[in-house]
Amino acid sequence: MATDTSTLEPLPIPEPDRPAYRAKPKDWVRENLFSGPVNSIVTIVGALVIAFLAYRALRFLFVTARWEAVHVNLTNYMVGGFPRDELWRLWAAVYLLTLLGGMRWGVSVHRTRPTDGRAEASWRAPLRRFWPFIVFALVVVGLSASPVTAAALLGVGMTAFIGRVAGIRVPPRGVRWVTILFILGCVAAFEVMVAFGGVPYPDWRGLMLTLFLSLGGILLSFPLGVLLALGRRSTFPAIRALSVAYIELIRGVPLITLLFMAFLVLGFFLPPGTQTPSLVARALIAFVLFTAAYVAEVVRGGLQAVPNEQVEAAQALGLSPVKITALIVLPQALRAVIPAMVGQFISLFKDTSLAASIGLAELLRVAEQINGQPRFTGHGLQAETLGFAAFVFWVGAYWMSKTSQRLEKRLGVGER
Amino acid sequence: MSETGTSAGPMIVCERVGKWFGDFQALKTVDLEVDRQEVVVVMGPSGSGKSTLIRCINRLEKHDAGRIVVDGIEMSDDLRNIQEIRREVGMVFQQFNLFPHLTVLENVTLAPRQVRHKPKREAEEIAMLQLERVQIPEQALKYPGQLSGGQQQRVAIARALAMQPKVMLFDEPTSALDPEMIKEVLDAMLELARSGMTMIVVTHEMGFAREVAGRMVFMDDGQVVEIGTPEHFFTNPREERTKKFLSQIL
Amino acid sequence: MGVEAPAYRRSGRPPPWRDVRMLRLLFQIVVVGGVVVIGLWLFGNLATNLDRQGIRTDFDYLDRSAGFAIAGSDFKSSDPVWRALVVGVKNTAIVSGAGILLASILGVVIGVSRLSPNWLIARAASLYVEAVRNIPVLVIIIFMYIAVILKLPSIGNASELFGILVISNSGLVVASVEAAGGGAPLFAASLAVAAVVAVVVLIRRTRRFDRTGQPHHRVLWGAGTFLIIAVVAFVATGTPVAMSLPQRQEFGVTGGIRMSPEFAALLAGLFIYTASHIAEIVRGSILAVSRGQSEAARALGLTEFQRYRFVVLPQALRIMIPPLANQYLNLTKNSSLAVFIAYPEITRITRIAIGQGNPAPQGILILMGIYLFFSLTISAITNLVNRRLTYVTS
Repeated sequence: MATDTSTLEPLPIPEPDRPAYRAKPKDWVRENLFSGPVNSIVTIVGALVIAFLAYRALRFLFVTARWEAVHVNLTNYMVGGFPRDELWRLWAAVYLLTLLGGMRWGVSVHRTRPTDGRAEASWRAPLRRFWPFIVFALVVVGLSASPVTAAALLGVGMTAFIGRVAGIRVPPRGVRWVTILFILGCVAAFEVMVAFGGVPYPDWRGLMLTLFLSLGGILLSFPLGVLLALGRRSTFPAIRALSVAYIELIRGVPLITLLFMAFLVLGFFLPPGTQTPSLVARALIAFVLFTAAYVAEVVRGGLQAVPNEQVEAAQALGLSPVKITALIVLPQALRAVIPAMVGQFISLFKDTSLAASIGLAELLRVAEQINGQPRFTGHGLQAETLGFAAFVFWVGAYWMSKTSQRLEKRLGVGER
Repeated sequence: MSETGTSAGPMIVCERVGKWFGDFQALKTVDLEVDRQEVVVVMGPSGSGKSTLIRCINRLEKHDAGRIVVDGIEMSDDLRNIQEIRREVGMVFQQFNLFPHLTVLENVTLAPRQVRHKPKREAEEIAMLQLERVQIPEQALKYPGQLSGGQQQRVAIARALAMQPKVMLFDEPTSALDPEMIKEVLDAMLELARSGMTMIVVTHEMGFAREVAGRMVFMDDGQVVEIGTPEHFFTNPREERTKKFLSQIL
Repeated sequence: MGVEAPAYRRSGRPPPWRDVRMLRLLFQIVVVGGVVVIGLWLFGNLATNLDRQGIRTDFDYLDRSAGFAIAGSDFKSSDPVWRALVVGVKNTAIVSGAGILLASILGVVIGVSRLSPNWLIARAASLYVEAVRNIPVLVIIIFMYIAVILKLPSIGNASELFGILVISNSGLVVASVEAAGGGAPLFAASLAVAAVVAVVVLIRRTRRFDRTGQPHHRVLWGAGTFLIIAVVAFVATGTPVAMSLPQRQEFGVTGGIRMSPEFAALLAGLFIYTASHIAEIVRGSILAVSRGQSEAARALGLTEFQRYRFVVLPQALRIMIPPLANQYLNLTKNSSLAVFIAYPEITRITRIAIGQGNPAPQGILILMGIYLFFSLTISAITNLVNRRLTYVTS
């Protein structure tokens, strides 16, 4: 028997498809901040707390803080006691590096988006990427209140862009040359600082020393780290034991113990009569030994990510073990761990602050020393001096971590 | 293209080959002879040792008992022997195993340049020849990740061929491919067989076996159970195990 | 079908320079030998140099009297050096333990906050993490010490919080409990009994849940039972425990537990910094639990709370443990930064001892050994926990 449908309610007419729901500000506020009683209370309390903290922080930064200590010592922060009449060397090196670095940067823009002409001319994207540096530059200019500094920094920025524009124009064949040029430029910059009556690196201080220790540390620790990683995965038991012992030993102790060792005991390991290496060199050795163990672990992760079948295929082709490692395994492994390596570099950058423990006046120590200057001693300006040092560290570390995140995204999607 | 051997004997001789993995014996006194320019198809259920056998031939696995002789060279602990045999034996894997960070052309020229020390121009000529042979010369500058499975496997074949081997080993070359791509790989293998290459192919593709195999080998449980011509296998297999296996796959 | 193949080329044993087995052995010998040779050279130099400078290579110095005192403990300068080291280890353990606890709590709170649907909370938590993570921990510790603790008002104007906390620039004093009257042992015993009873109640409620499906509320029941018994015992034994409240006197504070400003600064720096890393780990682990899991949970009709409790958190926990253990290890190692602010943990004490003329090589060796011990302990515990939590595969 058919169902009697005459008493059924008429079916409601379906609503036409609504366009994608675009949250109006009022709705967004309601959803995200006041969606329920608990949520609303949390928002209100949170807002009050945050407003209070923000008020105190801003008041400190702009009203109560006395920034003379920083203002007067900006050069000290950057280069410590570097002879002021040799500063031209530093500026020359900086400009050289930004020019060549800008070119290398321009070249890489070319590679990722070869057909996107719009990307070339876009000014907004690079600005967004480098905003921490722009903030840094503005703060420095603000603190120095010196038009000369402002002009110099602006010059650096412009040089970078000039280099970028030049780099974009480089044809694909020239890419390798630009990279070589950049590397040569780094060497040249170093020589400019050091050679012909320049300032040798053991005398570098301040932010310059921080950067020297970080870059030198990561570059020198890299070969050792790769060797250790290969050794740890080696099928030779003796070699594997040695690698594991080194890695686990170093990773189990604080960096400061290695610095102490370098400071107090390193000289004893050299033949009697040899000159003790400079303090900077000793610190660098400690950083290299320390970082190599962590780099080894990072590279090990990359090596594990290369499937064993790759090795088999290479073996089947008759390649020797050394060639297999160098041409097949390492390129894939290293490419996979670039983000983690950047993370390690960031850690090293922050850890250079520990060099203060053996008396080296890197950035942090300079900040402390400023408090001891006759003019500022006893005035309780620690918050300002340390705050600026913290800010400099923050700018560097934050930018690098954002870069690493971007690299991760790009490597995941890229064709290589 | 296979060069004529320096001796008139068989290309590959496996004599009483045994292989253990711990307590498990994967190969039990395997005897096999492969003549020059012969195509041998090896089949059997999984775990029968067929992959292990051919992996022993180019020393991806080390055999524990018996003798393996390739083109008159005995496979031993002698480094020179191992290197020579690997140069003469090409292998194609189930999972292709192309090098993802190199272009197709670089994948194919790598070994000729690094192992046979060919100059770049010559290596690239050889490479393009092989790529044309497997019918994908236009992909030379792409990366493996941009190719389909069938194309990747054909590149793998070209890569092995660029070393101008005397023997080609195939370890289930089509098992990882989607059905529509199997034909293109089999066609490449057919052409290779017809050109006179000595081949040992581990596969389930009976159509291929029927067409080019000189002999077929059935392995089970680490042993060679039956050897014969394809005709023999398909019309009148002798052993019970052979019959059972064939009934499952035909 | 044995055939005598004309293997006219190179059968039989290969010459040693081409035998792969020999080559493997040779390679190992060369590498290990090289390392050993270099090691011997280095330590040879060490021995010679120590000898020349008249530095002894034994550990006798540990029994000599230290010649320095340690603030905040009953260590006198006439006590032997090894006792100073013991005090140092104790202090390291205290600050590390407290730091790990506080950092975990704060880290979890902030990590979960970053995932909160409340935009304000999520952004505030993100701000915290991004700000703190990128500053060296040493800077934070020194900042805490110089710019915060030392800037607090002196004892005379110290601020009191709810009567249980006194904050000044000579440290913090927190209220504590201490025994008052003889009933303390009995009370402690009855607490133990209360705990046992509470556990029994927990088990019984769980069994009831299994049987009848009724919600068990076992936490409420267990905690409630424990409290009732504890209160009854407390009264019955004559209130044997009292709070020791910090009392501000003229020249200091009596009562309670005191924390030196160095300890407070070190602890604050350590746990603020480590919490930001732990927050990232927590957030990452929760996000790493695949969305399919949550979808399945929702499809089954579980509430949000149940989804977290039964599906997301257990899986996130497994993911979290190795990086979390790494952070705990880092915190323990970072406690060595106390050298900069004079908190007498083991690194600082070693430094002082060396400064007093004790031999450096042995001192540093012992120092490294102690930290290795801490590291291995944390690693071992982590492995144990990890093994118990790994998923069962065949």
